[in-house]
Amino acid sequence: MEALLFNVDSGFLEGTVRGYKGGILSQSHYANLTQCETLEDFRTQLSATDYGNFLANEPLPISTATIADKATQILVDQFKYLRNNAVEPLSKFLDYITYGYMIDNVILLITGTLHERDTHELIERCHPLGIFETMPALCVASNVEELYQSVLVETPLAPYFRDCLSASDLDDLNIEIVRNTVYKAYLEDFHSYCTSLGGPTAEVMHRILSFEADRRTVNITINSFNTELTKEQRAKLFPSIGRLFPEGNNQLAKADEVDQVRQVCEGVSEYRVFFSDAPSSTANSGGGDEASSAVSQLEDRFFHMEVHLNKQAFLQQFQYGVFYAYMKLKEQEIRNLTWIAECIAQDARDRIQDFIPIF
Amino acid sequence: MSDEYPSLLRSEQMSLVQLFVPTEVAHDTVAELGELGNVQFKDLNPNVNPFQRSFVGEIRRIDEMARRVRFFSTQIEQEKDVVPIRPLYDSAPLITVGPRAAQTMDELDVTLTEHESRLVKMNESYQKLSERTRELVEARHVLRETAVFFDKAQGHRADIRSSFDDSSAPLLQHDDRENQYSSGSVQFDLEFVAGTIDRARLSTFERVLWRVLRGNLYMNHTDIVDPFVDPVTGAETRKNVFIIFAHGDALLAKIRKVAESMGATLYPIDANADKRSDSLREVTARLEDLETVLYNTGSNRRSELVKIGESLRAWQDVVRKEKLIYETLNLFNYDVRRKTLIAEGWVPTRDITKIQLALRHATEESGTSVPPILHELRTHKTPPTFHRTNKFTEGFQTIMDSYGIASYQEVNPGLFAVITFPFLFAVMFGDIGHGFIIFFAALYMILTERRLARVDLGEIMGQFFYGRYIILLMGAFSVYTGLMYNDIFSKTLHIWHSGWSFPQTDADKVVGVSNGHMYPFGLDPGWHGADNNLVFVNSYKMKMSIVLGVIHMTFALCLQLPNHIRFKRPIDIYANFIPQMIFLLSIFGYLVICILYKWSIDWSQASTQPPSLLNMLINMFLSPGAVDPKEQLYAGQAFVQVVLLLLAAVCVPWLLITKPYFAWKEMKKIQGQGYVSIGHGDGAPRDSSDEVLEGEEEGNGRAIAEDTDEGHEQHDFGEVVIHQVIHTIEFCLGCISHTASYLRLWALSLAHAQLSEVLWTMTLERFLGPTSVGGWIGLIIVGVLWFVLTVFILCLMEGLSAFLHALRLHWVEANSKHYEGGGYAFAPLTFANPDMKE
Repeated sequence: MEALLFNVDSGFLEGTVRGYKGGILSQSHYANLTQCETLEDFRTQLSATDYGNFLANEPLPISTATIADKATQILVDQFKYLRNNAVEPLSKFLDYITYGYMIDNVILLITGTLHERDTHELIERCHPLGIFETMPALCVASNVEELYQSVLVETPLAPYFRDCLSASDLDDLNIEIVRNTVYKAYLEDFHSYCTSLGGPTAEVMHRILSFEADRRTVNITINSFNTELTKEQRAKLFPSIGRLFPEGNNQLAKADEVDQVRQVCEGVSEYRVFFSDAPSSTANSGGGDEASSAVSQLEDRFFHMEVHLNKQAFLQQFQYGVFYAYMKLKEQEIRNLTWIAECIAQDARDRIQDFIPIF
Repeated sequence: MSDEYPSLLRSEQMSLVQLFVPTEVAHDTVAELGELGNVQFKDLNPNVNPFQRSFVGEIRRIDEMARRVRFFSTQIEQEKDVVPIRPLYDSAPLITVGPRAAQTMDELDVTLTEHESRLVKMNESYQKLSERTRELVEARHVLRETAVFFDKAQGHRADIRSSFDDSSAPLLQHDDRENQYSSGSVQFDLEFVAGTIDRARLSTFERVLWRVLRGNLYMNHTDIVDPFVDPVTGAETRKNVFIIFAHGDALLAKIRKVAESMGATLYPIDANADKRSDSLREVTARLEDLETVLYNTGSNRRSELVKIGESLRAWQDVVRKEKLIYETLNLFNYDVRRKTLIAEGWVPTRDITKIQLALRHATEESGTSVPPILHELRTHKTPPTFHRTNKFTEGFQTIMDSYGIASYQEVNPGLFAVITFPFLFAVMFGDIGHGFIIFFAALYMILTERRLARVDLGEIMGQFFYGRYIILLMGAFSVYTGLMYNDIFSKTLHIWHSGWSFPQTDADKVVGVSNGHMYPFGLDPGWHGADNNLVFVNSYKMKMSIVLGVIHMTFALCLQLPNHIRFKRPIDIYANFIPQMIFLLSIFGYLVICILYKWSIDWSQASTQPPSLLNMLINMFLSPGAVDPKEQLYAGQAFVQVVLLLLAAVCVPWLLITKPYFAWKEMKKIQGQGYVSIGHGDGAPRDSSDEVLEGEEEGNGRAIAEDTDEGHEQHDFGEVVIHQVIHTIEFCLGCISHTASYLRLWALSLAHAQLSEVLWTMTLERFLGPTSVGGWIGLIIVGVLWFVLTVFILCLMEGLSAFLHALRLHWVEANSKHYEGGGYAFAPLTFANPDMKE
């Protein structure tokens, strides 16, 4: 049925986003980029891709931050184009994508204010897609209650914050808890919205969001080892969606070490690879260095998995998943570009291959 | 061949040439060839990354210069008062060839850098100054507005007392009293924050403050009338002055924090009126000083921009050319040992001597004694298609090129389109008046083309201007067909003696009587206004369309012949051309002859009824050999039709089978001689290794460049069969549908005539012969209306529609008969395109 009427409202935008997707850098582009000697080469090489002359008006020398900023700007422009042309329910779906960035920005601002950074500097560092107009006022709040009452109540994020209202003062741990609670609420809400859309959108987004939820669950578990966070509190932060839910989540809530996490992940065949060659490091878990490398390895694998899932979203037509997937893929691409540019700038040739290829 | 007079019939003969260019003269050589615009260079290092090529450094330098020039032009564009830019043809050319080229470029680079740094510095100081000015202006506004506010409060205080005294004041003036109360207490215990904020953010600001302070504030704001202009981006912002009263240090601190984070600017304002007026005076004084400085900086900046504007176009030109030159040089093969660059490219064979001259000139120019060497290569690669056009034929050629670029040396339909296109257009657009309108429009564009070519006409007018010669011919031909149809703005011309007279014999109808005269040219005006005019004209135009269509198609079909002869494909003549010709002529050629024959007979004297030709054609297929004697056109008709039908029927299998059969026989013959086809698996690598070997042996100076990938088309028997089957079906069905398609000539011409008649009767006709002053005014108004509608609906809209149909008849009906269109266009390196908008 959606095949019949989908194109009436969203066909153009789906075509547009698929066209954008055609501009995502491929393996050969990356191969060329990694051969660059300087950032100027990098710029020349990028000008042959869909990025075009986005750096042409930058005076030399170029910094990696400029590259990342300009690339993000392109993505933001594309997103805004899509958003401006979208109608319900796609426009709502696209709004949901921005909520994620909004949460990040809110947390960034609160944390920054807590550490007494300059507000303007913080606002510049915020993701442009997650900016809302009352955002700067966040810096006056000193606890969540106040935060909610003064600023967030009129933003779309309000329902997510309602669950974690407490008059307790904001400190680093509390902010982390707030972040995870809010994100959990966001993921669940987004998921239920996608389910309400039904059809292929629900299917595709279910896959992607389930993974996202599981990733958060695993990350929260691993990061909460040896902290003051109690197990009950931890269990509250787990999103109630995902493939690990509910048994896996229950077990993770009780886990004390990485090995237990691994056992839980064994339960899902796709997640087995995350810990496949981790045992060597968990065997002598005394070496903190190796444990952290295992964690960063895990992070990389998560990214690989994410890219894989998002690529799969493009295999199905007549659904909104492509918009979400495109944003995520493009973000990954910007991370890759920044990584390569950083490696070139710092002359760290041996690590230049550590990006995550998309196509 | 190369000394043949250049013609549009076939594309230019091209040669693949190799150039050995000593490094010293490489730049000048390419510059010279670019000016000539005759060489299409091939990329000799397709596998090399763009940033690993030989001249990346230079390109980067040029890019940097281009960035600076772009910076200047955006600065100039943003300047509010227009900075004059001297056009390119007016500015002194910068010589970038010859021995002093490097120096010129260095100097240019230095100049650009200097200008840029100066401009940037000026921008900075200008911006800083205007920032300070803006702050001061804002401060002044804040001071003034708050002063107004405080004054009001002062005034109210007096009222407060009186109102307290007056105990009989009604309680319901609650609103008023509260207002007075809050403002009255201002002076005593409330503290305040004042500043300016962007108007767009004001409401958010107010909302957030209200929420943060839980309503414990009193806020007042007024608009600042003048917008603030950002000096660099030129963006306008509008701001508001606000003043907020609140109680308590904590709240005030919060307000300040929120205000700052929302991008507001706060100004310290004293509650004391004297101090306020003092600071107002001080601010005004400082503002005056600053404005003088600002004015000076601004005029300095402007004079700098004017100076830049003088040579901006020349710089842009040089930078563009240099970039093209180095990009071209990057296509060359760089031989480090011999210090030469090796280039390969396509050139028109006719122009080789010109290129030789250019090369010699480049050598002299650069002051060295080593000339670049040019020699021709033999090749099997298909050369690009290059039609040498002039401003007259360019438009027609473009019409055909947008269908498909002709294959190399194929017969070019663009040549014939010069006449057929305007003619077919005119058949649909036949009207003397409309024809003259578009003719004179085109004539105007042609007479002023020198001036118009320089102006940017915009997309739509630019297209009309580009097609001005097409329009000219279309207009001229329309006048001709208009004479044929005897149609001028839906009226007729009565030049000669009409063949019909209309004696008044009956009260309510007039019957025309032939009076023996013959109208010598075009349609007899006597038909105009007759009841059966439409019947006659329709029959005439319909038959004429068929006649023209069949002639056009036959002609297009004949254009196959020179191609087959040129490319030495005799089989195609016997297996394609001849059967197709017979098929077309035996059915539709016969129809055309019947039409002409029927026209030539005086049916009022004949013994039989005039037969319907359409039924005749249908019956020719449905009941061959049987012709109703009542409708017989000529004696022996049945026999002739059977023969023709048999001829056409024979052509189908002939067309279908002959070519595959010959292909099969050819294959057998080769196999019979003992040759076995080599698998592609070992064929390709052997060839390529040969090439490598050859390259190694002769360095890079090989005389024969062969590309094994193209050229040898796959002779797959199955493919030939399928291709021929499709071709046959397409042609046979196409003949019928294409003939019918030419009826659009009739349909559109009918529509045009009717539309112009409707326009005439609906507007002008009723107002003709005015009797009063009002009638005259009405005539003038309606006349103007009629003319405007004539131009816009009949000339523009109808003209576009007729153009479109003429286009279709050429692309679909004619081109499908002969045109292969499988070539690629010749894209030489040229500086000639001064497209300044990057």
